[in-house]
Amino acid sequence: MIRLWFDKGTILLSGEVGTPYGKWDPRVGCYRIKAAHYRDVLDYLKESEVEYRDEVQSLPPLESLKCTVELRPYQKEALSRWRRARMRGVLVLPTAAGKTYIALKAVDLLKTQTLIVVPTLDLIDQWRKRVKEWLKVECGAVGGGENTVRMVTVSTYDSGYLQAEWLGNRFMFIVFDEVHHLASPSYMQIAELYIAPYRMGLTATYERSDERHKLLPSLVGDLIYKVNVDELAGKHLSPYTYEKILVELDPDEQDAYENEMGVFRSYLNEKGIVLRSAEDFQKFIMFTGRDRRAREALLARNRALKTALNSRAKLNFLAKQLEAYRDEKILIFTLHNDLVYTISRRFLIPALTYQTPKEERRQMLESFRSGEYRAIVTSQVLDEGVDVPDASVGFILSGTGSTREYIQRLGRLLRKVEGKEARLVEIVSKETVEVGISRRRRLKTSKV
Amino acid sequence: MLPTDLLAVFKRKGVIWPRYAKLSAENLEVAGNIVETYKSHVGEKKKAVKEFVGELEDRGFDYRFVRGLSFMLDRRSIFKCAESINPVDLRRKIFQATEKLGLPTTPEQRSRIIAAIASELKMPAERVEESLYADLESELVLEKFDPPSSEELLKEYNLSLTQTLLFDSTELNFTASGNWQRIFFAIKKLGLIYEAYQDGKLQVKIDGPASLFKLTRRYGTAIAKLLPVIVANPEWTVEAKILWRYTNEICRFQIESWKHGSILKKPHLPEAPYDSLVEEDFAARFEALRSSWLLRREPEPVLAGKQVIIPDFSLEREGSKVYIEVVGFWTLEYLMRKIEKLKKTSVAMLVIVNEDLACEKIAGLEEHPRLNIIYYRDQIPLAPVIRYLEEAFRGTQVEQSKFLKSLSIVFTEPVISYEEFAARTGVSLEAVKAVLAENPPKGYVLTAKSLVRKDKLKQVEKKIEEQISQKGKLFLPEATKIAETEGVEDATSILEALGYKIAWHGISPEKAEVFKPDRKQIK
Repeated sequence: MIRLWFDKGTILLSGEVGTPYGKWDPRVGCYRIKAAHYRDVLDYLKESEVEYRDEVQSLPPLESLKCTVELRPYQKEALSRWRRARMRGVLVLPTAAGKTYIALKAVDLLKTQTLIVVPTLDLIDQWRKRVKEWLKVECGAVGGGENTVRMVTVSTYDSGYLQAEWLGNRFMFIVFDEVHHLASPSYMQIAELYIAPYRMGLTATYERSDERHKLLPSLVGDLIYKVNVDELAGKHLSPYTYEKILVELDPDEQDAYENEMGVFRSYLNEKGIVLRSAEDFQKFIMFTGRDRRAREALLARNRALKTALNSRAKLNFLAKQLEAYRDEKILIFTLHNDLVYTISRRFLIPALTYQTPKEERRQMLESFRSGEYRAIVTSQVLDEGVDVPDASVGFILSGTGSTREYIQRLGRLLRKVEGKEARLVEIVSKETVEVGISRRRRLKTSKV
Repeated sequence: MLPTDLLAVFKRKGVIWPRYAKLSAENLEVAGNIVETYKSHVGEKKKAVKEFVGELEDRGFDYRFVRGLSFMLDRRSIFKCAESINPVDLRRKIFQATEKLGLPTTPEQRSRIIAAIASELKMPAERVEESLYADLESELVLEKFDPPSSEELLKEYNLSLTQTLLFDSTELNFTASGNWQRIFFAIKKLGLIYEAYQDGKLQVKIDGPASLFKLTRRYGTAIAKLLPVIVANPEWTVEAKILWRYTNEICRFQIESWKHGSILKKPHLPEAPYDSLVEEDFAARFEALRSSWLLRREPEPVLAGKQVIIPDFSLEREGSKVYIEVVGFWTLEYLMRKIEKLKKTSVAMLVIVNEDLACEKIAGLEEHPRLNIIYYRDQIPLAPVIRYLEEAFRGTQVEQSKFLKSLSIVFTEPVISYEEFAARTGVSLEAVKAVLAENPPKGYVLTAKSLVRKDKLKQVEKKIEEQISQKGKLFLPEATKIAETEGVEDATSILEALGYKIAWHGISPEKAEVFKPDRKQIK
């Protein structure tokens, strides 16, 4: 009889039966099949009326769920489209529109072993709480030093990727939170090395600037539902305002900026180098590995940019703003960690970066949620997913210029709370390239 | 292994290789400088160390090289938070105070908060400031440093550079002179798949399960981790396919021990411990027998199809070779699989199975007469092992005799030593002696160590007789010399064959007289 079993992220099939999915592996003398084709192979064998023994799955025991989630109309619509698509596909909803609840309802619907893949450790904590609260069941976790597999388990993309060989046959349903991450060359292997026939992708920002989102349909399923901020703002999301404030550099900062930028520009002119695109710039950086003067020019540019991004004038402006919003919950975003710590020291505001110890981070977010802390300054760690319901004011002191970053940061403020009106304020140094960075981001997001 | 942005390579016409740091005077000096920096900065902050490293970059050395060396040294360093107060607790206190007193937006408000905390903790305000973020990476203090020599550092760097390049590998081929058990254990543990084949040497190709479907870097990290056990050998070759991350082209990468062995760090591997006490005990008792069998641990792998078996021991004696595999914990299915694998080999294998640990009924096994299975309880019994060895040896003898007889050899040389003959025909000495004794070649006499042609014998006799008649007496050393000049090494057996006797007077051969008994009597 034909036997199928799981071998480190793939399925092996013994017996001389060719299937449209298998490939003969001369190294072991068996047919080998991609784990992602698990459902297809079984369908094929059943249709061909071939007898087989399936030893692929190694599932944790089922536990009984008690789901108390009530979906809003648009969430219901999203879920039913996903069911019609044979329980596969990507749902695009703005941050704070309750993607989590759709996924939890789907878990309840399937009542099967489920892995939820998330980008950060903070999100592991958050999902665990939600699962416990809304499904009334303990949730396993893989990543950040933990390794417990249960009927419902949350893992980071990193662990899901690294441990595919050992986790790939333990779940029948996978939820990819912030599914745009899945399209990266390494993370996409999670989709390939896991057998789970049921898949759901969730994101607020489907498109990637490298176009790799085009791979998602083959990995998770088609984009089957999409709703944007404006359709929900007011009713399901907080209304919001955005303003950009231009701040002049202090005179000495302006001088330093012009000087350093001058070094960089004159080097480019001298060599006739034109930097038009990100690729041009990447090439230039590789070139600096070999050419000392090029490297010096690059370092001068970086210093100039740092002056603009971290300017004293900006901080003085921020001080005034902090006084003006004494009663609001505030998030401050920067590009670099240096600035996070400068702000943290100056205003004695808790700082959250990748260097923050895990326990402190947990405690900090908890205190922020409970209202014990009123402000947090962070670089990029808070960009995604973590829920801070009543934060109402956001200051962007510096950013990369990417649209995704902007949408995600805005998303932190949009969770609906009665009477809240969110404000996102971007503080930009006048007469520097930073103005361009900020414009690039907003141009693309005018539709959001 | 280094961060990938510090990996520097050369790439030309589909070939790629790391920019290895040669052990040149200049490189040794840079390495020495950085080591000295770390040494002299014990007790100082990490950012101070990195500042100095930055200065070296500014002096024109490739920043990837300088930072790479510094990265290697970080791993030999212990950085610790120097403040006695836990910064996490301190921050919590301060942030809580901030909430009570309001976010400070002026320097005065800020100092008030810090002063309040300082007095609460009974420490100066400056210490509060210093401790606030004393746990940040750059603020940590270098507490301990284990300095390498400049040469060691460059070699470690080169090994790490190679491993970093291998992150992008899709497959690796290697040969090695030993360490097999470790290598194959690592391959299995790292989730890799190998294929082995014989091509002069044992060649092994490595990739992973999903490599079958597409080129993937997925196994690059595991392959990089395998490298040290391979290059720990005195001889090795390594060849890899690199899917270069910046251009996505496939490049070939190749290094060999004779060329690169001297610039790469050889990890020190302690001698492999025995898998179990049972094996150790068996080896000790077997050695104590002082048998003519040569016992070796961790012999070279035996090819079984595309897979290999690395037996626990090999035993060799004059052309006979037997492998021993000791099986501790097992299930019937495991044993069957093992046996299936063994059947694919063409060697003599003795499987020694623990009866006590048998998880299943072993009755079914008796139906496999082809297998040489010995059971044991607490100790591996020597008697059946030796019985098997002797049988194997006899079997080899018989085969060798058959082989010898099948050769039609015409002897022409005057003297042929058995040892040389055995070596030339590739059979054991015993077999040579047995076959020749049974069927002595015409015109030759068999002595203890060699075949001697009869006319050669006559010639020796003639010379001896000449000496005796000249001097009246002949002593052993002279007789030996005569035999040796005629090309016969074992003089005593020749003398014996010619009917001479040796009269010993004491133990000194100088006084041992060579004579023919009949003639003595005449005297």
